[in-house]
Amino acid sequence: MIEFDQADSGEIPAEASAGVKVIGVGGAGANVLDRMALEGSDDARLLTLNTDVRALTTSVSSDKIQLGATLLKGMGTGGDPSLGRQAALEAVDEIREAVRGNGMLFLCVGLGGGTGSGAAPEVCRIAREEGVFLVVFATMPFSFEGERRMDQAKEALDTISRYANAVITFDNDRMGELIVPKDGVAQAFAAADKIISQSIRATMNVVFRPGIIRIGMDDLLAALDANDSRCLFGYGIAKGDNRSLEAIEQALKCPLLDRGKLLNEAKSVLVQVAGGDSMTLYEVQLVMEEITKHVGSETQILFGTGTDQRLSNSLSVTVISSIPGPDAAKRQEPETTTAEDSQPVSIGGPGLAASSGAASIGVESAPVSPLAQSIEAAEEDEIPPSLSGEVDAVSEPEQEDESEEPVNPVDEDADESVIFEPLDEEEKPAYSPDTIPVVPVLPEQQTETGEAESDEDLRNPIARAMESANEEHDESDLSGPVASDSDSSGSSGPVPTEASGVEAVTDSSQKITLSRMVSSGNTGKIKTRTPDEGESSGPVLPPTTPPAMPKDDAEPSDEARQQQEMLQLEPAAGKGRFAKTDPTIVDGEDLDVPTFLRKK
Amino acid sequence: MASSNIYVGLEIGTSKVCIVVGEVRNDGAIKILGVGQHPSAGVRKGEIVDSDTVQTCLHDALSRAEERSSVEVNTVFLAVTGSHVKSLNNRGTIRVADEQMEITTEDLEEVKKIARDVPIPKENGYIHSIIQHYFVDGQDKVLNPLGMLGQKLEADYHIIHGVKTRIQNTIRCVRDVPLEVEDIVFSPVAAAQVVLNREAKNEGALLIDVGGGTTDYICFVDGAVVASGCVAIGGDHITNDIALVLKIPLARAEKLKVTHGSASLKNFEPGEIAIEGESGKTVEQELLNQIMNARATELLSVVAEPLEKDGLLPRLGKGVFLTGGSSLMKGLDEVASEIFGIPVQQSGSASMSGPSALFENPQYATPVGLIRYAQLLDEQRPKRGALSKLGQRFEKIFGGGK
Repeated sequence: MIEFDQADSGEIPAEASAGVKVIGVGGAGANVLDRMALEGSDDARLLTLNTDVRALTTSVSSDKIQLGATLLKGMGTGGDPSLGRQAALEAVDEIREAVRGNGMLFLCVGLGGGTGSGAAPEVCRIAREEGVFLVVFATMPFSFEGERRMDQAKEALDTISRYANAVITFDNDRMGELIVPKDGVAQAFAAADKIISQSIRATMNVVFRPGIIRIGMDDLLAALDANDSRCLFGYGIAKGDNRSLEAIEQALKCPLLDRGKLLNEAKSVLVQVAGGDSMTLYEVQLVMEEITKHVGSETQILFGTGTDQRLSNSLSVTVISSIPGPDAAKRQEPETTTAEDSQPVSIGGPGLAASSGAASIGVESAPVSPLAQSIEAAEEDEIPPSLSGEVDAVSEPEQEDESEEPVNPVDEDADESVIFEPLDEEEKPAYSPDTIPVVPVLPEQQTETGEAESDEDLRNPIARAMESANEEHDESDLSGPVASDSDSSGSSGPVPTEASGVEAVTDSSQKITLSRMVSSGNTGKIKTRTPDEGESSGPVLPPTTPPAMPKDDAEPSDEARQQQEMLQLEPAAGKGRFAKTDPTIVDGEDLDVPTFLRKK
Repeated sequence: MASSNIYVGLEIGTSKVCIVVGEVRNDGAIKILGVGQHPSAGVRKGEIVDSDTVQTCLHDALSRAEERSSVEVNTVFLAVTGSHVKSLNNRGTIRVADEQMEITTEDLEEVKKIARDVPIPKENGYIHSIIQHYFVDGQDKVLNPLGMLGQKLEADYHIIHGVKTRIQNTIRCVRDVPLEVEDIVFSPVAAAQVVLNREAKNEGALLIDVGGGTTDYICFVDGAVVASGCVAIGGDHITNDIALVLKIPLARAEKLKVTHGSASLKNFEPGEIAIEGESGKTVEQELLNQIMNARATELLSVVAEPLEKDGLLPRLGKGVFLTGGSSLMKGLDEVASEIFGIPVQQSGSASMSGPSALFENPQYATPVGLIRYAQLLDEQRPKRGALSKLGQRFEKIFGGGK
């Protein structure tokens, strides 16, 4: 607490402190804030918002705002988000006052309860209106807390993510895994709070710490790219001789990173290495080498380094990244483009950005006037233009409207996974503008995979058999309904899965490919069929049609070849007792067939 | 621990299930107490495809081994193989702390951890990581850097990994017997322990274990493992080839292979061989040899290819050691020396006491090698008893969640 006072008065660099405030909403948010205060929050001011006056009085943060003083008379919301929302609306002026003028806001909230799920979206809205750069750390409830709370949490999260510049979600269920089961409840929650407060602290440090190679808000946003993502966060600090490796080790050990394994899936990873003056380039290099071991070759590494006197002889490593959450995996594809669009313009080179300061970036991304802001917000979040004017006035009906919007693609995907069902023709055209630009990409990938397959053809007859079996099914189905429409929509969904399919074909050995291809049998099928149907659009192609166009020629023959090879499986039986085993393929030759026969 | 340890090696091969019970005396000598084996079924290409059948064979082999050795077998060292087993070499580097200078065991552990940290497919797990040699500040081929002064410690490791689930399937099969698996060993690693002596390992040697369903190999240069792997082709393939080409049943093809066949195209007496049981049907010796030769040539070429690419063949001073049941095939050594261009010898395990005649047979190289492997493991980690090993295993299993 003393440290906290110190922070309030203290020697904070004006530039950084001017902008930053950490707000905790509800009980969980307050806990995180307390944790931060106890550990000495050096850079930011803390503000607690709560309905429950008892909880508020025990909070150690500097500023406190009681929500719903008249409505709730100092009691909690009893888990009702609508009460929480009204309570927040009651205190709207105070909140606005507290939020105004900050360059950056961190808001931490535990969703699911009344205050958190009710008030936090309101606070976010206000922050957005005030043009503050907002990063939200939201904790999702335990699944044992029941569906209702989870639903409330999801609803709130939906709203929040529309207002916030970045949302980082923590799953309490996962937190449970991270903590030794026999730890006391208090310890467990403390540990969870600690993880969150550490994340906030590290995020602040990353963005505000003066750097040699600086990391700006833009980098942070890039690292937290995908909406509805699962945040990967790791922080390690170590002293001593082997500090660089110890620090990175610690960072990777952070529960959210799962020993660095999850980094493999991330699109971009933000890494900041900071240390005192004694930090050597070699140490930075070691850290980065270690990191590169854990990320995929495609991954973009956003790298920053800086010296910080306060670290003296220790070295800290911060790793921030995100991977699509389980729900987001499907809808990520349509959204990523918009997410990229909405990102603030990144300024020049990192070196230039160094002096200009993060706060300015934040401002840039969020225009000053509240009205313009709301429109901007609307655009960024893909709110239909017609609704954007109403953002302030009517927030609730709009919420419902919009909540459908992100949900839709998921449904569509669900449809696609059941490919045999004739697709609803009425709805699809709405999506066709989205999908059309995607289509041209497909043939290329198609040919790639086609080639890969032709190599792979011999390798896993089982997978191939599965695939062609699927195809047969599909043909029989598609010959019924006209396929043109289902194609275009079909092509929108499988793009992400396709990518994974390609990867599976290229980077793994035969056996593995087999299992993966079998598991993704359906999508694999879509991708092989899409282009030729897309090109011939109207008429259904019977495989027997004498090919006139060269392109058409290529596709059916490919198909025909596949089928033929499948047929060959039986007569090629030259494998005798190995007929039913995993094939042994070396250089494309099936070694199970007698060498004597092959060489002849 | 008692003054002597009894270890049990189990190999579930494509052609036979073999259990060897061996006693390691405190002076380091190994005495084979008993062997139980049973022709195996339900194994293809070194991997179990029919668990129930394998268990029957396993029970049978086990009871014979227990009977002959008068030892109740509880835990075994299990040899694993299969085409999914892959290997690679990787170097780990750490910087030794400034003040510390002297290299400690922790550093070695650390460098091992780093060296092991290579991108292997997600579904794969490590089977072995074998130290090749250390480098201290660029000085190469340091065998034991412990206590040396240095700033940079590098270690080359040979890492053998395989698909976890496949290995677990084998383990589960053994556990169902029930037998506890103390450790898993990649077959050629075990076989090398008895087939190659120290001299051979130092001068460079390639061990090729031609089994029923797989051919495993391991290559030593300068005393360190530099390459290893498994090709899913073995003696069964040759039998199969003969059966398919001559259109005769497998059993007769097998007999033909063993009694008359040769992989050599040179030293044979041309003539007709009557195929037993097939009235009046004969086969040209030349044709038979051609079939076998084609297969053997291809098989050994597949083994030789990666080694040649890495330029390892010229460094094998002691040449090629053929072992495994199918290495008994006539003419195989001839084919091998043609392909590898270096001396080839057939070899079983040596330097054991016990009913030794048995163990000079190359068929037993792997299971006997397991005993030796167990012994070495014990020597390396003298303080670690079976209990703590078990504990460690549990830690491995349950520790993942932390």
